[in-house]
Amino acid sequence: MEPNSQPKARIQLPVQVVGLVDINRLIREVEGLDDFLMQAAIRMPGSNMKLPRTSRIFDEFVAVNHFNMLQTADRRAVASFLQTIKLQTPVLHMSFASDPTAAFTVKLVMWLRTNIHPYLLLQIGLEPRIAAGCIVRTPNKQFDFSLRRHFISRRDQLISVLKG
Amino acid sequence: MTIWWLIVIISLLILVLLAFIWLALRLGNNSFSKTKNAAPYEQAAQLDVEHIFDDKFREELRNRGRLHFEKIIGENAMFLQQDLRLTTSQLNDYMKQEITRKLQEEFAKYEQSINDAKQLAMDSIQKTNNAIDEQRKTLSVQVQKEYIDEKARLIRQFEVNMAEIINHYVLSAIGNQIDLNEQLEFILSDLEANKKAIIEDIVHGA
Repeated sequence: MEPNSQPKARIQLPVQVVGLVDINRLIREVEGLDDFLMQAAIRMPGSNMKLPRTSRIFDEFVAVNHFNMLQTADRRAVASFLQTIKLQTPVLHMSFASDPTAAFTVKLVMWLRTNIHPYLLLQIGLEPRIAAGCIVRTPNKQFDFSLRRHFISRRDQLISVLKG
Repeated sequence: MTIWWLIVIISLLILVLLAFIWLALRLGNNSFSKTKNAAPYEQAAQLDVEHIFDDKFREELRNRGRLHFEKIIGENAMFLQQDLRLTTSQLNDYMKQEITRKLQEEFAKYEQSINDAKQLAMDSIQKTNNAIDEQRKTLSVQVQKEYIDEKARLIRQFEVNMAEIINHYVLSAIGNQIDLNEQLEFILSDLEANKKAIIEDIVHGA
């Protein structure tokens, strides 16, 4: 999916939505909400009902994009957008030496969506042996930005330093 | 040689004894025959003779003969004793010399055997030492070569895996203290440097 072939130009994906897990959760939530509202429409008027609780990410997503989830059209648009994202949006895999914090992930996703792709999803993995840095895997390539790779690229320099 | 001397001396003594006995018997026979042949004349003289050679005179002669015989026997016994002592002494010397000579010969043989055995042992030890020295030299050269090869291999291995080794030690030393937030700038700069390739792969790769 190219940057210019966005599902809907006005829909934004919040930076809190990081990976496919979040997209799937949003899809489940919007489907749940849709089911609830459909059931509510055919219920007897005046019966006691309780809206399903939605996650903070979902609320953020709805708020950022000014959706009215009581509107069937908006729900369908959101569901369609999320399905499109799930199926077409590129996923970038990044491995770190330790679990990144939420703030770190947000900053990283923000940079990726600004510079690489506006709907890019990120899958985070753990690779303790790299010590520092990260390893980035795109669909066909792997970019090693780890400290180990850094040492390997400076091997001759290290040897010359060791030999004095 | 001393035994032969002893035999000769004993033989001489026996001959002297026989000669003395023969002389005594001869003297006895002569007096008897003279008395028989010149009986008439001699009877007269017999009386005179008997007067001269009476029992006392005879006893005196007998005593003198006995003394003479004892003297001869004593002298000969003394000579025999001297000879025996001399012979014994010579025999002792001879035995000593013989035994000494035999012992010296045996000791010489024994010493020669010991020297031969010692020489054999020395030769064997020398050969063993030479073999051990040779093996030690060979082993030393081999160990030296192995050491140099191993050292070169380790250095080569170290150089090949230097990045991994340093990474391992860095990870062991400060692995827990490396904060991802502090790395964000470097990670973003790396991403920025490879941004084009990443976009290219994302857009056209799938």
